[in-house]
Parts: sequence; C-alpha cells; structure tokens
Amino acid sequence: MRRGLAVFAILMLLSPVLLAQALHLEKTISLPPDVIVRYTAISPAGNVIAAVCRDQKVWLVDISSATLSQTVDLGGERLTSVRFSGDGRLLAAGGAAGRVRVWELPSATLKLEITAPREVDALAISSDGKLLAAAPLEEAVEVWDLPAAKQLVKLRAPFSGTSALAFSPDGHWLATADGDTNIRVYDSRTGALRSTAGDLLLEAFSIAYSIDGKYILAGGADKTISVIDPGSGEVLRSFIKQDNPILDLRLSRDGKLVAAAYFNADDPSKPAPVLIWDLQTELPRTRILEPDVTPNGGEYLPDGRLLMTSGSEKELKVWSVR
Amino acid sequence: MYDHGIRLSRREILHNCLALGSLAVLSAHSAGEMLAAWEERELRKPTPPNELGPFYKKRAPETATLRAPGDPGVPLSVAGQIFDTRGDTLSKAVVEVWQTDHLGHYDLDGYRYRAKLSADDAGKYKFDSVLPGHYPDRVCQHIHYLVTAPGHKPLVTQLYFATDPVFEGDPDKNFNRDPLIHSRELVRPVMLAGDPKQIYAAVNFELCLERA
Repeated sequence: MRRGLAVFAILMLLSPVLLAQALHLEKTISLPPDVIVRYTAISPAGNVIAAVCRDQKVWLVDISSATLSQTVDLGGERLTSVRFSGDGRLLAAGGAAGRVRVWELPSATLKLEITAPREVDALAISSDGKLLAAAPLEEAVEVWDLPAAKQLVKLRAPFSGTSALAFSPDGHWLATADGDTNIRVYDSRTGALRSTAGDLLLEAFSIAYSIDGKYILAGGADKTISVIDPGSGEVLRSFIKQDNPILDLRLSRDGKLVAAAYFNADDPSKPAPVLIWDLQTELPRTRILEPDVTPNGGEYLPDGRLLMTSGSEKELKVWSVR
Repeated sequence: MYDHGIRLSRREILHNCLALGSLAVLSAHSAGEMLAAWEERELRKPTPPNELGPFYKKRAPETATLRAPGDPGVPLSVAGQIFDTRGDTLSKAVVEVWQTDHLGHYDLDGYRYRAKLSADDAGKYKFDSVLPGHYPDRVCQHIHYLVTAPGHKPLVTQLYFATDPVFEGDPDKNFNRDPLIHSRELVRPVMLAGDPKQIYAAVNFELCLERA
C-alpha cells in the first residue's frame, strides 16, 4: 500500500452503508535528518517495519519501542521491492540491477543472495519460509529453494513478465500476475502450469491467496477485485468496480477482510482511498481517505488490526484500523 | 512483373536459383552451408524493446481509426512496415497499440485510443490517432506497441516523438531525459502533412522482429 489513505469516512459513492471505523495513531517514530522513507513493508508479526529509504537502505524499525534498530541493503543498489515472509522471520529485498537478498530476523543474518537478470519488481516467500519467488522486469520468474540456495525453476509468461506473485498457503502453488493480463498458477517446485485465468482484460498489480487456498484475489488496472478459482483459472466473480485501479491487496488473518489500496491512474501523485472489503458480503466496510496523510505501507496483524504507515521525512507515523 | 500474388522467401529464391544454375556457389562450402549462413545474416537490427507499462488491455478493437471525429488534440498518422532481421516483410504480423488521449489520460474502462491492426500483404500497418499527452508518471509522450508474428518473438516497445518538448529540439542529446528511453532509435521524426485546413502530424515507425 504505497499510496492513497488515512482516516475513514462515510462512503456516499457506494450503495451499502459503510461502518466507520477509527483510524488510530499508534506510534510516531522520529527519523534521523538524513533518512527519507520512500515506502514501507510491515512484518505480518507486527513487530518490525522495513522502511525503504532514499539512501537505498532498509531501516528496520522496532514498532514497540518506536526506534530504528538496524539497516540492511543491497550494497548501494536501488531498492525496488521488499517483502516479509508470512511469519515475519524472513525479509527479502530486490534491486534495480537484479540483486536479491534474504535476511533472517531479528538478527538480520544474510541467508541468501542471488542475482536476477534485471530489476526485481516482485518478491514472495512461501509461508514455511522454504521458497522464494522473484520476478525480474519482463523476464522469467525464478523460484529458489531458500535453505539449499538452489534455483528450482524459471516460469516465463509469453511476453512482458510478471508484476505480482503469491504462494498458496501450503506453498505448493505459485500464482503470477502477468503483463499479458493473465493470472497463471504453477507448481512451485516443478514449474508445471496448473491453470491460466485469461478473462481479465487489464493487468493485475496485486494478487493474494485466500487463507484456505481455495481462491485467488486479484486487483489491478480493472478497478475491481476478482475472485479466481486457482484450479480452473475461472474468474468466479468480481467486486463492485471503483473509480481507481488497485495497487495492493492485503488479507486479514482470519480471511474475512481484504484491504485494497487504490491509486489515481490519471495522476498517481493525487490521493486515493484504501477500502476494506468484507469477503463474505463482498461489500466495502470502510473507506479510508485523508488528504493530509499519504499511506506508504500496510499489513494485517494476527490481532486483526490493519497497520499502515505514513510520512517520509522527520517522522514515520504508524496507524491502525480495527 | 515478379509479384503475381506469390511471395517467395529469400531461402526459396536462393534454392530456386541454385537449382536452375542461375546462381553458382564459388566457395569451399556447400550450398546448404551457404544457405544456412545467409539465413543467419542479420540484415536489419531488431527494434529495441521498451517496457510494456501497466495499462495494456487485451481484446482491443480491430480498427485503424483511433481518432473519433471532433477529438481534440493534434491529429496523428502513424505508418510503418514490419520486417524480420533478414529483411523479409511480415505480412501476418499483428500490431497492438495503446496510448493516452491528448491530455495524458488512459482509458481503462473502454478502448479509446487502443487498437489491434493486422499488417497488409507487404507487412505494412497504419493508424490515425492524436498526439498523446504527457502521462503524469512519465516524462515523454509515447505510444505503446505489442507486435506479434508467427515464428517470431513478440516485440514490446514504445514510439516516442522527436517534437516532444522534453527533448528541446535535440533528441540526439536529450532522448535519455526519459529514463525509460534506452534507445534513440525509438524517437521518431514528426512531419507535418495534409493541406492547410487539415494539417496532421505524420510519423513513420518501422518495426523489426527477431525470429523465435
């Protein structure tokens, strides 16, 4: 969730009545004068924020103490993607020249370093921490065995490459959102193609498996959340279309909610909302948009809170939505 | 005339010439080796690829008229021919193009300024549009291309305009002001054409695909 957010409002544009929920300021973290945050990734464990900064370092922020604990980097390479594992034990970062590093937290011990052929646009780590998937710009997705530091397969879309990745909860399958607008599902270890969802007309920028692994949620330029059967590739249904494309999707741990961060396609510098959707009713519950606060990261925590960050200079603010 | 609706490939022409004795191989190499070497020659350089961008939309309408009557903006006509690296024209090529309107807005809900074009028998394509505006997240005006042809690698690239104010009249020097432009070759000259009442910008953009 790199764009558009903050504070809730009653959403008049949508037919259902939305339940307003409070956006709470949890922490304000002071940043050193030379640290400017571009965007963040929040550990699903809820203890660490990885703040990607303009100095090409990832500052690891301890949320409970609101302090910057340490930094990791790609040796000066511009950071293009950062991703935590589901349990927050691993942090992966990819760079503009294709370098990928994976660290074990909290010690920040380097566990794997590989070099992809081009800028790494998307990363995913399987929930057991054993597989890493990396999508270099318009190149084949690489799947790596993390403990063995061994490349398992390369998965190539017909053209254009992949912009988002998601492992199934059991790690057996890897879903890719490809530039040709298809969502493909592969066997993570063999690379065998399981299904292709070919009915999306525009590219998905974010995909996520449902908690039970039965569905894939995809959101992107088509301004809606599509629910896809990973076995057949059939698009089962789509949520109410919004005014803006979706940049990011985050599922709550109980699988009942999905937070969708939207962006203004006509001018990405303008704010756009975050909508929290109820997956059962497929209706929006909360709309978050605060002109003075631009979100630059978000994640659901085990306790049900959606944590979001904002701010880039002087201080980083941590917000929560219950 | 040679062309009576039958188009022979370079390989077929060479084969025929060798068979008829009108071409002799004065070499230590066999005719087959010479043919293979000929085929490996790159007479044309492949068009430099350029990023797909986030707003490709499939199933675009098959039309060469992207500009509707009364559309604001500078009318634009783009034409070109599609080759492979051996110089053969690709009559079965398909060109998909998409761009912003004159204000720099992409149509994500419909298919405005999006089209799918089939090359003619000579591998030529042409479409009418408007000069795209500047998309806020990009530096230069551009048109996206996806070009496919049987037996060839898909080409994803973008067309840029030498008249773009960003280049300040000197695209040779300033083309990399847009960090996504890695090749000067993608910046094409713009000619003014038409009569005084209907002036339009005309651009030629030839495309060259690599064999699969």
